[in-house]
Amino acid sequence: MELDEFRTSLDRWLDENAGALAPDHEGLGTLDQQMAQLAKVKRLTYDAGWMRRGWPERVGGLGGSTLLRAYLGEALTSRDLVEPGIYSMTEVLAPTMIDYASPEVAATMVPRLLRGEETWCQGFSEPDTGSNLAALSCRAVRFDDEWRVTGQKVWTSLAQYADRCVLLTRTGSPDSAHKGITALFVDMDSPGITIRPIETMHGAQEFSEVFFDDVAVPVDRTLGDEGQGWAVAMDLLPYERSTSLWHRAAFLHRRLQLLVESAPPDALNPTHVGEVTQLLYAFRARSRATQHRLARGERLGPETSIDKVLVASAEQAVFDLAAEGLAGDIAIGDDHAAERWRTEFLYSRAATIYGGSAEIQRNIIARRLLDLGSDR
Amino acid sequence: MDRADLDLFERSLRHATGRHTGPALDAALDDLGWPDALTADRRAAVSILFELQGRENASSGALDHVLRGGLGLEAGSVVLPALGSWSPPGRLDGDRLVVAGLGSGVGEAVVVAGNAEGKDVAAVVATGALGLRPVRGIDPALGLVEVTGTVDGVAPEPVAGWEAAVAVAQLAVGHQLVGASRAMLELARRHALERIQFGQPIGRFQAVRHRLAETLIAIETADAALDGAWEDGTPLSAAIAKALAGRGARTAARHCQQVLAGIGFTTEHPLHTYVRRVFVLDELLGGSRSLTADMGRNLLATRRLPGLLPL
Repeated sequence: MELDEFRTSLDRWLDENAGALAPDHEGLGTLDQQMAQLAKVKRLTYDAGWMRRGWPERVGGLGGSTLLRAYLGEALTSRDLVEPGIYSMTEVLAPTMIDYASPEVAATMVPRLLRGEETWCQGFSEPDTGSNLAALSCRAVRFDDEWRVTGQKVWTSLAQYADRCVLLTRTGSPDSAHKGITALFVDMDSPGITIRPIETMHGAQEFSEVFFDDVAVPVDRTLGDEGQGWAVAMDLLPYERSTSLWHRAAFLHRRLQLLVESAPPDALNPTHVGEVTQLLYAFRARSRATQHRLARGERLGPETSIDKVLVASAEQAVFDLAAEGLAGDIAIGDDHAAERWRTEFLYSRAATIYGGSAEIQRNIIARRLLDLGSDR
Repeated sequence: MDRADLDLFERSLRHATGRHTGPALDAALDDLGWPDALTADRRAAVSILFELQGRENASSGALDHVLRGGLGLEAGSVVLPALGSWSPPGRLDGDRLVVAGLGSGVGEAVVVAGNAEGKDVAAVVATGALGLRPVRGIDPALGLVEVTGTVDGVAPEPVAGWEAAVAVAQLAVGHQLVGASRAMLELARRHALERIQFGQPIGRFQAVRHRLAETLIAIETADAALDGAWEDGTPLSAAIAKALAGRGARTAARHCQQVLAGIGFTTEHPLHTYVRRVFVLDELLGGSRSLTADMGRNLLATRRLPGLLPL
């Protein structure tokens, strides 16, 4: 079977090239170091063909099942070669480009993302528009063959590293809600863009404020049609809640294994260990089914909100357990290992906030899966 | 079974579990060829029937079949472990057998599994030699019988592994818990849409919506773990799935009871029958709490997580 053959040969290649793939830094590394490591791993895996499997040929891929992508990310995250959060951008943004960019733009740009030559970001949230995405106000006005964009985005992950941005803009009237949104693919070096990184609680400048001051964007960089931005966003979100979560689960499994190995005797409550293990097992089983549905060409929808709730719960459960078993390290430890547990513990606090908060996921579940009707 | 066969099979079982319970359901299952299906396609036979039994709150001796098949026995009613336990109900001391377990359909003789010098064995014991107590308890409709006693001069025979047999039985009860949870959720969901307060259905209120969402999450978590456990087929994953199904059903009972409020607290509404049932089913073949604590202790002893379910 395609996946079995891929798994065996990829594992062998990763073993043989372990030296070249290994990070240059010790411990978790800074975000700069993680980004450099990500670019290196993507380039090596792209040039060896692994990163191209599971993507369509028209964007530089080699075709084949999307399960191959799921396994590649799993193998890379579970070997600690890439940080799963920053790796996930590929799985979130490339499918959107394939579905909505013009064939020429997709064919030029997607290979750069896959090969790690470029970093892309996702300009969705705004200061007044967090959970209520359809109320966004970053304005794009059409002049002949270009858009002029003015407004502000926030929580834009990796914006300061990004070469391009998938940007949601308001092109309809201010109160046009989800009907008046258009998605654009913007070069981040365009004149008029200002980026102000924000330092997070876990000590990284993971996201930024991005200001757009009359930024010109060519009309051929429109994703989908004018006014179709909501559909672009809605189609993107299930990707954000599928393959990248599978990768995250592999990472969490690795960290939980290390925690169970390294926690001092009697520091962990057996019931809590059992509960976390069960939750992670269930998430993996759920995510596996989602991966297989994706591979069969099924359209993913609101049911991926359950995947998202589960992975966020599992992530917090894993690091709550770490906080229980390695409380001393997290509180006052300053070696690489302690610093990493602390950073990951702090970062896990955001798992129920980013990518659609836990409350928004439950709203989606209530309205779309339980058919409880509108809540307004 | 292919897709069409499965659909037909499920329809027939739905019909049977919707109309019958107890011995009448056993007879209907025999007519439908469910015992043969159990041999031919164990996963389909177990998952479909038990989820339906859970939904319809029906009971049968099917669990007995599952355990018997797992032990490689042709006939006889197998005694289930004592409530809360997943160990064999028999303890052997020479040719003396001490029995503490539960029965569903108990005939003139029962099969009691135990362990002798590290080998899984079972002995046929005349029911008359044992103490039988029909259980009322919190769920009289389940029809359990407590089986206890000490019998001398037994001659146990070797059987196929208990651990693997009880794992499949745990999956069966897990599916039943999921079915019962789905039934409770549907009752609460319908109530949330119909019950008007402050001029609107209570299902508009986020507090109510989130309770129901939480219930669906708990159910889907258990269901995913059940699927995973069938895929990888290990006793550990069956225990994980059983624990999640039990915990999920308790979550479902708590939230649905709250949403159904006053009416759900009466015997005029069916909710209480599910609340009763899942309380017992969670404990049957290992309660979620004890399975979880036991698993955690083992993981900490070996410092090794269960292997990853492959993509």
